[in-house]
Amino acid sequence: MSGQGMNLTLRVWRQAGSEDKGEFRFYQLNNVSEHMSFLEMLDVLNEQLIKLGEEPVAFDHDCREGICGMCSLMINGQAHGPDNETTTCQLHMRRFRDGDTITIEPWRAKAFPVIRDLVVDRTSFDRVISAGGFVSVNAGNAPDANCLPVPKQDQEKAMDAAACIGCGACVAACKNASAMLFTSAKVSQMSLLPQGKPERARRVLNMVARMDEEGFGSCTNTSECEAACPAGISVDNIARLNREYLKAVVFSDEGI
Amino acid sequence: MFKVADSPLDGRVPDGPIADKWDNRKNELKLVSPNNKRKYEVIVVGTGLAGASAAASLAEMGYNVKAFCFQDSPRRAHSIAAQGGINAAKNYPNDGDSIWRLFYDTVKGGDYRARESNVYRLASVSGNIIDQCVAQGVPFAREYGGTLANRTFGGAQVSRTFYARGQTGQQLLLGAYSSLMRQVSAGKVTLMPRREMMDLIVDEGVTRGIVCRNLKTGEMEAHTGHAVVLATGGYGNVFYLSTNAKGCNVTAAWRCHRRGAYFANPCYTQIHPTCIPVSGDYQSKLTLMSESLRNDGRVWVPKSADDTRAPNEIPEDDRDYYLERRYPAFGNMVPRDVASRAAKERCDAGFGVGETKQAVYLDFKHAIERDGEDAIRSKYGNLFHMYEKITAENPYQVPMRIYPAVHYTMGGLWVDYNLESSVPGLFVLGEANFSDHGANRLGASALMQGLADGYFVLPYTVGDHIGKHGSSLKPLGNDHPVVQEALESATSRVNSILAVNGTKSPDSIHRQLGQIMWDKCGMARTAAGLKQAAEEIRALRDVFWNEVKVLGSGDSFNQNLEHAGRLADFLEFAELFATDAWHREESCGGHFREEHQTEDNEARRDDEKFCYAAAWEFQGVGEQPMLHKEPMEFNEVALSTRSYK
Amino acid sequence: MAITGLLLCGFLVVHLAGNLLLFAGAEAYNAYAHKLHDNEDLLHVAETGLALIFFTHLYLAFKLSAENRIARGRGYAENQSKRQDLISKVRPESWMLATGLGLLAYMILHLADFTLEFRDTSHYEGLAPFDKAVSLLNDPISIIGYLVGFAFLFAHLSHGISSAFQSLGLNHPKYNAVIKWSGLAFALALAIGNASLVFWAQSQ
Repeated sequence: MSGQGMNLTLRVWRQAGSEDKGEFRFYQLNNVSEHMSFLEMLDVLNEQLIKLGEEPVAFDHDCREGICGMCSLMINGQAHGPDNETTTCQLHMRRFRDGDTITIEPWRAKAFPVIRDLVVDRTSFDRVISAGGFVSVNAGNAPDANCLPVPKQDQEKAMDAAACIGCGACVAACKNASAMLFTSAKVSQMSLLPQGKPERARRVLNMVARMDEEGFGSCTNTSECEAACPAGISVDNIARLNREYLKAVVFSDEGI
Repeated sequence: MFKVADSPLDGRVPDGPIADKWDNRKNELKLVSPNNKRKYEVIVVGTGLAGASAAASLAEMGYNVKAFCFQDSPRRAHSIAAQGGINAAKNYPNDGDSIWRLFYDTVKGGDYRARESNVYRLASVSGNIIDQCVAQGVPFAREYGGTLANRTFGGAQVSRTFYARGQTGQQLLLGAYSSLMRQVSAGKVTLMPRREMMDLIVDEGVTRGIVCRNLKTGEMEAHTGHAVVLATGGYGNVFYLSTNAKGCNVTAAWRCHRRGAYFANPCYTQIHPTCIPVSGDYQSKLTLMSESLRNDGRVWVPKSADDTRAPNEIPEDDRDYYLERRYPAFGNMVPRDVASRAAKERCDAGFGVGETKQAVYLDFKHAIERDGEDAIRSKYGNLFHMYEKITAENPYQVPMRIYPAVHYTMGGLWVDYNLESSVPGLFVLGEANFSDHGANRLGASALMQGLADGYFVLPYTVGDHIGKHGSSLKPLGNDHPVVQEALESATSRVNSILAVNGTKSPDSIHRQLGQIMWDKCGMARTAAGLKQAAEEIRALRDVFWNEVKVLGSGDSFNQNLEHAGRLADFLEFAELFATDAWHREESCGGHFREEHQTEDNEARRDDEKFCYAAAWEFQGVGEQPMLHKEPMEFNEVALSTRSYK
Repeated sequence: MAITGLLLCGFLVVHLAGNLLLFAGAEAYNAYAHKLHDNEDLLHVAETGLALIFFTHLYLAFKLSAENRIARGRGYAENQSKRQDLISKVRPESWMLATGLGLLAYMILHLADFTLEFRDTSHYEGLAPFDKAVSLLNDPISIIGYLVGFAFLFAHLSHGISSAFQSLGLNHPKYNAVIKWSGLAFALALAIGNASLVFWAQSQ
């Protein structure tokens, strides 16, 4: 904890607004403690910038404990940095070495336009969910919770999928900027549970259609999303979405 | 330091036996017919459990809703970080639980400073919450037979906590969010993300809308409607370091307070016993380790203060399992305030562990020996993983080091039984109000309260206000004088922050505020310290308004400006916090006054003088606030000294 | 892509099976070739169907890669994989369009040789199918072109097969490993099977 910290060179994407061209700028940051989180390191950078009269680097963050999905960042070309199943806010500087140059870029996707510096607009994800990522049940008319037994294995698999934090790393890491992992996580959760069965065909058709409308690319099964996902969502969910989709297209009454 | 109002404050609690009160009230409430609901607009600020569930429910009923949040998506509200679980009196484990017991535990856990009738209502709708969440597809933990599983939480001797791994808050929030998004697609809810509420619009004493800043463009926007629902969470970040998300703030609540809403019991702060200790002065937030860990983890420190051995080398005989020693009946499962103070007591006495000596051990050795590592991993895997990420230590092999941290604030805007504030038409839900947890909140009760308010209380009571006033409230245009005034006041505040152009960053001033609060308004408070804190806060407020440096402009995305604006409100609020803590000459729950303790260092309440909710009325910045007392009456649960021994 | 891809694989299997008759000698191979051409109408229908599948596959490939490029927009200055199960940084799944185009080039050469007879036909004028094949497989351009083509085939299918199963939702944790490895084995078998004909032809 004591003693000299690391000296780092940061190569940070700066962009004043969505219409601005943007460019990389280099910053020198000295005496960085290995116990800092990556975002705390950026806090220190920003304090330094304010002192120098340069506007601080904008980056999204909130809970700083890996669950809200607000933080992002492409760090040296990897979504959320080098660790697996870790968000940027939980990445610690002990993963870097003295003298490193760290490149920090925003998520890049047509469906995630840059707002400023490293901040992007991910409302397209909300629109995908609003297309069908729910069970149509109003408050007040639910039956007793134990009326509907759910096999433990199904519940566990549904929970695995439901753990998605909606950060967008899957889109950022995919060479096609595809949102299949995100969308499939929600479709999977609902299709594994009996509660989701009544509207499963509608759900998958509408969500996939919306995903395409938003300008996300298509899945070519490279599994980069799974590797980048901080919540450990598996590409098995994508297969499940595909299965649901084909079933809905071929057998359901939707779209007649 | 304050003035006292002449007459007591009325919580407008309905008549009748406690079990019938809510039904009686529902029968009295005015209804709005389905055809008329679509003529009315409700503004919901905040999209956590309370806000999202309220917005979704109101839209399902037919109202037009606008939902605001400062995050980029409603799914990111800080309810998402709740780990352990949600209580409900379902009695599925057949261990003798009942609505009455949940009610009793919550009143007792709150150290007899909550409104009894509210707590009873909370307990009685708790079962409906679980039903609703399961119907939405929330993947609660299950038994092999397919039925729901339960676990135990602090302050209870039954298993009534439902959970979804260590991510219960996330799953409940995503459930509420999915209902909200369903109403977005139905056209009944308009989402307003990246908006910060800057002011409340009040006309002739009735709430008419809000002013908010569009954080993307910097534009000030006025939104008017027939009721405003505030579900903006707690103010723990007044301490700078807390388990809250970085964005959590008091601004919306404080702005309402300045427009006439009373602020109740601001000094009631929950310091959570199991958090990862501070590691350096760059620390930006603290991370909670769920209370559920205390089900299997045992808390201890070395018996000798100068024991420098590694934890695994300290034999059983040299360990002090101080919670089990002091509280044999509840052991490691005592309520949070008790556990936190006990940890502080050990560390202050010099028995703390780790480099800073500001930590105690939470040890899973016995649980792993008893149940095996796999069983522990399946229960707490994600928490252990998180711990290891942050500390680079493996908690399966070495005990966790933990220390208390600010976690939740029981105080909040004062509301009556209908959750309506002292400004008609302004409703306050969840952590933002003060009503259900008294001076200390039990684990797994915050999620319960947020959803109870949003799904099952507010949807009824908003109708009463709209039924009474809706037809007489004509729409206000942007050119209406009260709207103009609110817009101008919000804009000028932003401009005056930008105009200071000093030398200190908002973050550095916020850290200073946090230090004052932690040292003097934290786990142990004294009259002298609180008085001094109030002075220091006033001085720091001057520093802010003379020396803060915010770069950039007000008409663009500017996170530094956002932070400065929130800090400015914290600096006003903190003084009220200190005043409230100073005025309450007793110890209760999370409020511990060193002058008021028993011989064995337990909290000593003063029910004669302080059995009331302190609701403060704003009189101007730096002016003495006006204290309104709402007496807390306990007809069902006899006032007694809490004992977990 | 998945459906057309798997159908094309089906064709490759039948095609290779027929060609393996070369090993059985001239008689068997010639009989097979004549049988194939006995019913010209049926052959044309089959060829049209095959062409339709093939061009759909091709069209979708170009359409999707164009869309995917647009979906990314501005690319990254730096980009590296987070996958931990990779043996090498060069991976077939990143090069599907390239290996596909390589295959296309091979096919043009192959059709030019056998079907369209664009190249110098003097070596096998009037010979039986068996001798024509042997002669063509001894042509230096064909040898190199075909072997490179089969390498592309292997690369393309090593990702293509399991990817197609995934895209069709034919996936289960119990069988995922089986699908992955049999896909790889299938791709290898097709490539080796085809290449073996080239090597065999050298000894004739």
